[in-house]
Amino acid sequence: MKRVFLVARREFLEHLRTKTFWIGIFSFPVILTLAVLVPAWLEGKVSVRDYAVLDHSHWLAAAVEEKASIPDLAKVFSGLKEAFRKGGKALEIYPPFLRSKALGKALEKMDEGMVEKLGEVLTLLGRPEGARLLDRAGLPPGIVALVEKVRAEIGKWWRSLPPEEAKKVAPGSGKSRYRRIPLAELGDPDEAGLRKLVDQGKLFAAIVIGPDPVHTSKGCKYYSKNLADLDLKQWFERFATEAVREKRIQALNLSPEKAAWLAAPLRIETLKVTEGGGEEKASLSSRLHQFAPVAFVYILWISVFMIAQMLLTSTIEEKSNRVIEVLLSSVSPVQLMAGKIIGPALTGLTMILAWAFFAFAGLQVLPLLVEHAPDLGLGAILSDPAYLASFLVYFLLGYLLYASLLVGLGSVCNSLKEAQNLMQPLMLVLIVPLLSMIPVVKDPNGALARVLSFIPPFTPFVMMNRVAGPPAPWEYAATTVLLVITLAFTVWAAAKVFRVGILMTGKPPRLREILRWVREDHS
Amino acid sequence: MEHVLELEGVTKRFGPVTAVDRLSFQVPRGSVYGFLGPNGSGKTTTLRMVMSIFYPDEGRLRVLGRERALEVKDRIGYLPEERGLYKKMKTADLLAYFGRLKGMDGRLAKSRARELLARFGLQEWADKPCEALSKGMGQKVQLLAVLIHEPELMILDEPFSGLDPVNMESMRGAILQMKREGRTVLFSTHVMAQAEEICDYILLIDKGRKLLNGTLSEVKSSGPKGIRLDYDGDGSILRELPGVTRINDAGKSAEIFLEEEADPQEILARLVGRIVIRRFDLREPSLHEIFIRAVGAGEGRAAG
Repeated sequence: MKRVFLVARREFLEHLRTKTFWIGIFSFPVILTLAVLVPAWLEGKVSVRDYAVLDHSHWLAAAVEEKASIPDLAKVFSGLKEAFRKGGKALEIYPPFLRSKALGKALEKMDEGMVEKLGEVLTLLGRPEGARLLDRAGLPPGIVALVEKVRAEIGKWWRSLPPEEAKKVAPGSGKSRYRRIPLAELGDPDEAGLRKLVDQGKLFAAIVIGPDPVHTSKGCKYYSKNLADLDLKQWFERFATEAVREKRIQALNLSPEKAAWLAAPLRIETLKVTEGGGEEKASLSSRLHQFAPVAFVYILWISVFMIAQMLLTSTIEEKSNRVIEVLLSSVSPVQLMAGKIIGPALTGLTMILAWAFFAFAGLQVLPLLVEHAPDLGLGAILSDPAYLASFLVYFLLGYLLYASLLVGLGSVCNSLKEAQNLMQPLMLVLIVPLLSMIPVVKDPNGALARVLSFIPPFTPFVMMNRVAGPPAPWEYAATTVLLVITLAFTVWAAAKVFRVGILMTGKPPRLREILRWVREDHS
Repeated sequence: MEHVLELEGVTKRFGPVTAVDRLSFQVPRGSVYGFLGPNGSGKTTTLRMVMSIFYPDEGRLRVLGRERALEVKDRIGYLPEERGLYKKMKTADLLAYFGRLKGMDGRLAKSRARELLARFGLQEWADKPCEALSKGMGQKVQLLAVLIHEPELMILDEPFSGLDPVNMESMRGAILQMKREGRTVLFSTHVMAQAEEICDYILLIDKGRKLLNGTLSEVKSSGPKGIRLDYDGDGSILRELPGVTRINDAGKSAEIFLEEEADPQEILARLVGRIVIRRFDLREPSLHEIFIRAVGAGEGRAAG
């Protein structure tokens, strides 16, 4: 046992000296940081798209602006609610009239759905029939009065707010992405003039509205040089459609209430059934919880292969360096093989524990780096034993399985090139858990997931993949027993192949010969 | 006499090929034992069986009094024919690692590694990776890796192959040093000159079978005496001599074997005046000659 430990120790120390190991350890936090910071940074960098509208109907462009402000203002209020909760600096980006303590208290009492309605309320308040609609909104009476008070100011503030500021108070809002340039500023061009401005790059897009959009879409056009990115067109179309639909309903002489009722979409609330049949509002964090296994499977796959590959390389190196026979005068082939398998396993565990450490540390540091970092519940995932513990167990089992296959394979090869040729069929098998990753995570207890988890080479990956399911305890037990039996067999067979193969030179043996070594007793 | 190694009727087959065929011999403690034979004669296979890397199909084998070398591995040093070093490891670390694999205490192994490197003039290389060593230095380190744990029995497979004269000399020195320290050295070679210089005992095998075995002088006296000639000039005359059975002509020196009734004085007389003779004596045959005769006889045709 001491000899096994010595061999393992040397392998481990040797790996610590390789670049691969350190790249492996540090690429993870770097990728993780980039994955969080880059989107946040890009969000801030997306350029504001300028567009102009030549409105022959003379009302639609204004109506679109009004409609678009509804979701935008809802965003402002939900951001504001969050800022009140955090307090201090977070509030400073808002104008003084929104910072009153009374408004903060009122927002605190409202749920997400109610805050969303505030945008609508503000818009409706500007209309003659608005006051009547308010009764149906189901808002606490106090807030209506508060909103009434800031209405005039908020409208003025929002209309004059430059997109860069809008990005801060309402990230992702239409206002922060698109800027309508008034025609007067462009010298009142006609359609041809607008086309020229688009051509010159002064405008991202130009929209022409026909004289009677309520009656027909005729004459409505969207000009742009970039037809790959139609976000602006879709955004405009959505609100234009809403505005036109309202007019059409009015033309039917329906009351505004009925009109609003008719136009209101049906919203289905998304809920996740939690353990024990309870319900929980579907949030970003619960969706993340559902998809977290994909990341775990991916990391598991990469670490198993990276480490098993290290083992293969070191075996072949030892063989081509001719160190092997000197070693065999001190340790038996089985001891040597055991040490060679355990060494990289220690390397892998070190790497994984370092990653876990980085992830935990990252969770502590991240909120300090990024303002408005949403709480994604990553901490809950990391401390959930179903994830981290099963990751460790499946890493070890999966690694041992593939390590014993690769060490046997490495022992019969004289060069890395030969080994790569022999590995090709193995790689084909290995692609399966990657391909099935998304289908399995979507249906963790479906037929595909169940069948794959009973095929030992796939068990570690697929069971990790299903962890959000989660699989029944008997499935854990049965698949693990099956995997361990397979493992015992591959280790036994690998030891047989290893003791013959490791001293062989010349061309690699055929599969038939290798199978003969496994069957025969070479003692 | 105590034997550190005993083989009795040891046979090893690889498929249809019999690599070692009913081989028996004993290695006395404290001797330098030369294991000779042409390439492919089964030397490496025999040594691997001694080291328990292979197991014999038939026969009995005792190493340091045990059935399996595994049990006494730590008292044996083995230098295989195919040998190498971990390229990335530091020289001293590598030696210490091999020492620890032989059961040495970690600290002792480290100090002994440096001591050995210093003794062989490699102290500057102790903290450099093995890939920085020249070929000759690498060969020295390979030998040091085998003797770091001060084994009782050294088994060296072709220790002289690929060595330059300087390293060959230091290898020979190392073997003789071990003998002086009372250790036993068994080495294989197909270069007879070295065996002749340092061996106490000789074992000659071919095609897995034992051909000759005994002390160096026993083996040598088993062959016919021959004339050892050192000369300058045109050696073609040697081929015209009467009563000669065989000539090993190396251009400047030659070994001449005569028919039983032939007179060496007559040969000398014929050569005088034709070539410049620097040495002429009648003596036991060289190991080279014995080797060629034995292997030639084994193949059932005249050698040469």
